[in-house]
Amino acid sequence: MYPEQPPGNGEPLLRIEALVKRFGGFRALDGLTFDLMPGEIVGLVGPNGSGKTTCINVISGLYSPDGGDVIYHGRPISGMPSHRLVQIGINRTFQVPKPFPTLTASENVRVAAAHGRCDCTAVDVDALLASFELDCYAGRPAAELNAGQQKMLDLARALATGPSLLCIDELAAGLNPAELVRVAERLRELARSGITLLVVEHLMGFIDQVTDRVIVLNAGRGIFEGPLRGAVTDPKVIEVFLGTENGD
Amino acid sequence: MLGYTILAGLLFGLYFSLVGLGLNLVFGVVRIVNLAHGDFLMLGAFSAYWLFSLFAVSPFISVVLVFVGFSIIAWPLYYLLVPRLMATKDPEMLSLILFFGFSQVIEALATIAFGTSDRSIPGRALHMGPCRLFGQNYPASWIVGAVVSAAAVLFIYLYLYHTTKGYLSRAVMAHREEAVASGINVNRVCAIAFSIGVGLAAAAGVFAPFIFGSINPAMGVNITITSLTVIVVGSLGNPLGTVLGGLTYGISLMFMQTYFSSWANLLAYVMLILILLIRPSGLLGRSVRYA
Repeated sequence: MYPEQPPGNGEPLLRIEALVKRFGGFRALDGLTFDLMPGEIVGLVGPNGSGKTTCINVISGLYSPDGGDVIYHGRPISGMPSHRLVQIGINRTFQVPKPFPTLTASENVRVAAAHGRCDCTAVDVDALLASFELDCYAGRPAAELNAGQQKMLDLARALATGPSLLCIDELAAGLNPAELVRVAERLRELARSGITLLVVEHLMGFIDQVTDRVIVLNAGRGIFEGPLRGAVTDPKVIEVFLGTENGD
Repeated sequence: MLGYTILAGLLFGLYFSLVGLGLNLVFGVVRIVNLAHGDFLMLGAFSAYWLFSLFAVSPFISVVLVFVGFSIIAWPLYYLLVPRLMATKDPEMLSLILFFGFSQVIEALATIAFGTSDRSIPGRALHMGPCRLFGQNYPASWIVGAVVSAAAVLFIYLYLYHTTKGYLSRAVMAHREEAVASGINVNRVCAIAFSIGVGLAAAAGVFAPFIFGSINPAMGVNITITSLTVIVVGSLGNPLGTVLGGLTYGISLMFMQTYFSSWANLLAYVMLILILLIRPSGLLGRSVRYA
């Protein structure tokens, strides 16, 4: 039903069109629109409450949108069950990862490899764990891993499903500088292999290292789209992050 | 006397493990409180009664028929009720209200269908005389109820720890969103758990006429409260913790009936209050909160 390879001819892999998500009277997403091209890494940044995680939750199917469309490979996918989205190639990591605590690290990844793929391609779970330095913890219950290792396990779990689009929610928070460098390099490798990455992050240094461009959100709307160095000189972005001289 | 009481308590306790097992499986996996649990047990009891009365079907066969039959009935019931609950902001709380209403509907319809009088299945239906254990005689129904319950607990253990679906159930029990992100069809896993839970309740009902002496359409509410006590004492959300809760309840009940019989009916309520005040996480506590 969906092509396994990213579309060519300059067609976006994912198109977000006038996306709206309301929680009661609060519009967490208010007409958000952007495109993601195959193999690019896009940062989604903005102040707390600007709608970054809500956007990922809508794309990954945890929330149904109240308006607008999510188009993947040229087809609308709004309202599709989350597990189906995983099987057609959209996956995400969590801000606070919650691996299955009584399953081993290896079993956590195997569950995803067994159920999250629409094809029957075998996944080398051991190699995947090794790529995140988790090979020596493969047989341990996930509950025994530290917070950083659980984040890496969450990323390995998502990759085991063979995603074309991977939404990454605040992966860098809590990692030490050496880990940040390694994770940034790993994310760039993933993009080079053809996976599109949408990265929600507060650490601008990490965003600068990893992303090709950023989308700055405020109050559920995109206010800037382009390279990070352009964002830091944009008056609207400066106003949102630092306020105006009048203290607004 | 003390030895008899303890052993009888263990036999009763195993039966009460089965009574609470389905409720805890449903809560653990689906995260809803099925307050109609006792009513499904009552319906299972009446099914066994009618199967024996009309067709002389042995309870040993009834228990299989009832388990399979109610599991099948529960499947569409899940899809009719639960996905809508899950779409709300507080499914756990709303499940209390919905299934309380459902319980009342079942009780009312059962009263219309079966009347209010008590029914029982004669002990001869089991084709066994009293059994001798450690020098004491126990009714065959107690032994049979305990053995069937132990088999059901083993079945749930094997399901959870040695089958693919059980593996997925444990994943859903642990973290629903992470399970979804792993490509697991959470709704289907929950529907299976709900079906097995209702089937187990009805299967427990097959032995209710022997264990409780008689059955009637109004028994469901008390059974639900007893089941809640068993699973809260053991560990809410941990199906295998139900065994500990059931044994604790069974032994306590037998001691109460032996030494303070007029207070025995209060036991479930008093235990529920005490455990919630002293150790709300249940006897097994948080470290084994997830199966």
